[in-house]
Amino acid sequence: MPSLRSIRSRIRSVKNTRQITKAMEMVASAKMRKAQQRVLDTRPYAEKIYELMHRIASREKAWSSPFFETRPVQTIGVLLVSTDRGLCGAINANLFRSLVRFMKERPGVRFEFVTIGRKGRDFIRRSGFNLTGVIQGVKDRGTIEEILPATQLVIEEFSEKKNWQEAWIFYTQFESIMSQKPRHEKLLPIDPEVLTGSGNPPNGHSGEYLYEPDRRDILDVLIPRYFETVIFQRVLENFASEYSARMVAMKNATANAKEVIYGLTLTYNKLRQANITKEISEISSGAEAISQG
Amino acid sequence: MGFILSLVTQERHLLTEEVDYIQAKGVEGEFGVLKGHAPFLTLLDVGEFLVRKEESLYSYFVAGGVVEVLQDRVTVLADTIERADEIDGRRAEEARQNAIEALKQPVSSQSRLQYEQVLKREGVRLGILARRRSMRHPGPIREE
Repeated sequence: MPSLRSIRSRIRSVKNTRQITKAMEMVASAKMRKAQQRVLDTRPYAEKIYELMHRIASREKAWSSPFFETRPVQTIGVLLVSTDRGLCGAINANLFRSLVRFMKERPGVRFEFVTIGRKGRDFIRRSGFNLTGVIQGVKDRGTIEEILPATQLVIEEFSEKKNWQEAWIFYTQFESIMSQKPRHEKLLPIDPEVLTGSGNPPNGHSGEYLYEPDRRDILDVLIPRYFETVIFQRVLENFASEYSARMVAMKNATANAKEVIYGLTLTYNKLRQANITKEISEISSGAEAISQG
Repeated sequence: MGFILSLVTQERHLLTEEVDYIQAKGVEGEFGVLKGHAPFLTLLDVGEFLVRKEESLYSYFVAGGVVEVLQDRVTVLADTIERADEIDGRRAEEARQNAIEALKQPVSSQSRLQYEQVLKREGVRLGILARRRSMRHPGPIREE
């Protein structure tokens, strides 16, 4: 039987925890609202440029450019977007699980990783995978400039050093407050199959574009923008997912704490009453013994 | 019957609507698009972007980016878009004056280029405002 004092101190400590989780829930929900708005604002551009690049790829099949060319795959570069902090449910764990599954499906391929977010970096280190680059200090209210190092690294490894034959991005997509899905997408080479495969046929248009000025100039503008916006948008998705997952996790934690407090208070009161009853019966039986004696 | 126009920037989605005609300033000159245009990709210059829908004309300030023209769809991925009524005339005028002042001093060729770009941008912004005021573009400006 625990003592009254130990129960009291446990109640106090659970109450403190509840206060913290409650505060974290509110912080996360405020940040989530902003992050969600940014995700919705940036999604159309990212989607449109993603489609545009793939449409160009499907129309220009005969055309050789390192960004459109499929090479035999020896090394895949993975840009892993995860959160900096924990206490946000299972979103990182789910993402890493999907990554491991992806790797198992491609035996014999070498993987190199670039991470955005500390949890991903720790995971790659812990698993002993090849860590090529770490991008730090990306903030939820940040701008595209903050992910430029990631963009440059991907382009460098893929098209300049030719170390990577494919580049993928792994992140957690924000669907709603209750649901975030781990996702991966092929960034490079730009593969026309992606569009036709996703039930989005190139809607009967055929033939090449007229380019003005020439397509080299247009691609010089488009390709960096494609990377920047797509990667940046995925990072924003990840932030929105992080905050909603944290909000939900903290909400559950607060509810659990409440339950625990209720149970403990009940035991505490029962114990207190039992003690009082015991004392009274001791006193009264003592008094009786005296009066009879 | 027109075509679907989408105007987006990296930061926001301005509109997706069916329109009849657009006119824009590409790096190689102005061009207009009606329904059924041949597939066409071009880079945008700093300039006015006009949209006609049901006899009303809407005006936007657009700077940099790409336009993709398909048979039944036009997508503008711009670096900057402002609705004509969002343009801050006073700020544009100030920026222009600053640039003019700065260009009077001897400056490096790089910053000269920058100031000249400011001059161009703000000139276009003010031009749009002036035309809007003089009612040469009488259509109501879209309120979303």
